[in-house]
Amino acid sequence: MEANNKNTKTFLQISVHLTGYDEMDLLGTGMLESYYDVVIHENNLHLVSEFLTTSEKILGDLPNINDKIRQQLIDDVKFNSLTSNIIMMWYMGTWNGNVVSPQSYIQGLVWKAADTHPPGAKQPGYGSWENPPITIHPPVAVKPAAKAETLTTV
Amino acid sequence: MENTEYDVIIVGSGIAGCVMAKTLTQAGKKVLLLEAGLSAGINLDKNGNFYNYVDYLNTYYKANAKVPNSPYPNIKDAPSPNVLDIQATPSVDKGYYVQEGELPFASDFLRGPGGTTLHWLGSTPRMLPNDFQMKTNYNVAVDWPITYNELVPYYEMAELEIGVAGDASVQPNANEYTKGYEFPMKKIPQSYLDQKFMALVDKVNKGEHPVQIDKKKVTIGLTSTPQGRNAVPNEKYPYIDVMWNAEQQKLVMTKHMYWSGKDRAFKELDKKEKYQYLPVGAVWDPNTGQRCEGNASCVPICPVQAKYNALKSLAKADESKLTIKTQSVASKVLHNGEKTQITGVVYKTYAFGDDAIEYKEVIATAKIYVLAANAIENAKILLASEAANSSKQVGCNLMDHLCLLTWGLLPEKGYPFRGPGSTTNISSFRDTDTRKDHSAWICPVDNWGWGWPKFSPGSDVQDAVKEKKFGKELRNHLSDVLPRQLLLHYECEQLPNKDNRVSIKDEYRDALGNHRPVIKYNVSDYEIKAFAAAKAINDQLFKAAGIKDFTKYGEKDENGKFKNPDIVTPPRSKEIYNFWGAGHIVGTHRMGKDADKSVVDKNLCTWDHNNLYLVGCGNMPTLGTSNPTLTMLALTFKAAEAILKKI
Repeated sequence: MEANNKNTKTFLQISVHLTGYDEMDLLGTGMLESYYDVVIHENNLHLVSEFLTTSEKILGDLPNINDKIRQQLIDDVKFNSLTSNIIMMWYMGTWNGNVVSPQSYIQGLVWKAADTHPPGAKQPGYGSWENPPITIHPPVAVKPAAKAETLTTV
Repeated sequence: MENTEYDVIIVGSGIAGCVMAKTLTQAGKKVLLLEAGLSAGINLDKNGNFYNYVDYLNTYYKANAKVPNSPYPNIKDAPSPNVLDIQATPSVDKGYYVQEGELPFASDFLRGPGGTTLHWLGSTPRMLPNDFQMKTNYNVAVDWPITYNELVPYYEMAELEIGVAGDASVQPNANEYTKGYEFPMKKIPQSYLDQKFMALVDKVNKGEHPVQIDKKKVTIGLTSTPQGRNAVPNEKYPYIDVMWNAEQQKLVMTKHMYWSGKDRAFKELDKKEKYQYLPVGAVWDPNTGQRCEGNASCVPICPVQAKYNALKSLAKADESKLTIKTQSVASKVLHNGEKTQITGVVYKTYAFGDDAIEYKEVIATAKIYVLAANAIENAKILLASEAANSSKQVGCNLMDHLCLLTWGLLPEKGYPFRGPGSTTNISSFRDTDTRKDHSAWICPVDNWGWGWPKFSPGSDVQDAVKEKKFGKELRNHLSDVLPRQLLLHYECEQLPNKDNRVSIKDEYRDALGNHRPVIKYNVSDYEIKAFAAAKAINDQLFKAAGIKDFTKYGEKDENGKFKNPDIVTPPRSKEIYNFWGAGHIVGTHRMGKDADKSVVDKNLCTWDHNNLYLVGCGNMPTLGTSNPTLTMLALTFKAAEAILKKI
């Protein structure tokens, strides 16, 4: 369980740098566990384990991370297709061209990148298309809420 | 043989069949409606209907290629064509069509409850007056047996039935509409992309390098597209329902009478009540789909049913007069030779589920028979029955709009992939003198990026990943490119040609033993010339407007085969052109004023059998530049009126 959590975390963190979206965006898709499962089930476990170990090392060198990803994951024949597939999965919700699940289609990052929504879901409402899309800017830090008031019923 | 005697048997529950069933049952006629597709799709119980529809939607989400028929079941006992099966001809082993022509026919339709209105886009422009008289005006093709003016009252009925949103005053030939005519709903807002594009076109029109044809300046005109999807109701719209008036022996549009489903009768509106048109919501819940919600998935499925589909009309039929039989595939009409009456319709039923295979053949009888099974299916049934074909025109004159797609990147973001598929069209080339020489066209501005020719945005991600883009670089690239995608499609009018045809051969059959359509199809010089003319205009426009052209025809796949097999190459044409099907399947049992040159008369009754009517796009002698559904529905009302007069 512990190891699994650690691996999921590594998968999440390397996915941040592979997709260009931050942790909140990726977690917000609700797809992390499903996608991690797909990676596990669709690949040689030994390869996945090596991929995660390599990723962990790469994540330890944040200043050079893009160079490291390029050299060790993208340009590396061993990891290239796995890495590409992971990027495609986050963006399109597909693994090797097959849609993982109805939700994975809806949660594809490509719609966010194109400033739109997945066709057939998350509809923006009547007439919205007449105007440019509303761009959600990165959240600004907010002070933690004061101690929550206890609701009492009378 | 069934014992029940019906007034009318209708084959097919698409838009023509459903509106026919509604109109006839509301006028008190006893109707049997035969539908080839699955029972689940026609569930008139609201919960069952909803769950079935959600199943369609999930199937769509899960589909790898989100093509028009992807949400809907394809039944081996009543197969539908699929655009994914289109390949170079000859093609006998892939999909429903057997393709024996020079080029493959690339348009699909849906066999199932609601028919192709489940996946139609919903654009509803009328045909133009000149479209009905191509022979007289331009010395090509044939004239219709009726004029635009004769069809106007029925167009108005069709626009009420579908619930058209639009601005009538800006349509081409607006002066030929009834004076002061308004659509039931206000126009669907034109997209932000349309506005960006219109501004560019305006600049080109007024600038130093306007588009020219033969060195003469042409102004490119754009119009908002009328469409069958729910928008803000138009408070000036006066009509409530279409009703059979027995005294006048005609269908009339009511201003004070409304159909009460509860009372199964037309009722007088309470005098104190002020009438306002109310959009028709989802079949399972009238409060869902009151407005288009911008799902941007009209083709293949509107999740909230804000877009019209035929099941909405069927839900208004008088249930007490209507018998619906699903999983009942009509194969033949029976008769005793030429110029005799039809005596029955043969249909085959199939069980579905648990691998149970159980076929039954049944004959049903009525006073009048109506085939509403789609242009290709109607032709198939007639050919298999050796019926209505003394003119030898059944199956001939198969037509479609030939879509020449062009795509480029806008200089600024227009933010496509939002809103209905198209909200604006280039309308200024729909009826010009050039129709003597080549096809006219309408050119919708597409709101969904390069999805149609390039499978965007998936292909853009794929290509970028192949180029080893990742992280912020990938994200920024997609954010730059996808919002600038522009797609236009020049829908060129195809003329009737007896060699473009649907036929049947005994060796090609489906699981039920019914024939698969054997298609011969090609394009003519008249249409190829239009590709060149449209492309010349497009290229000038792109250049002057600063739209970077990415249009490419004749691309090949890894096996060296053309990705799009609908292609014309030199020496047939100067350049290579690809075209795409529009899904506008027309012409296979055309109407006319001469029995020896057409299949049905101007009331859509077959010349050969005076109790057999044909409805659907097969009746159209020519196609014009309009999406055909509205015109086809207008003709259906005309046919319904003729049937009610007869019985």
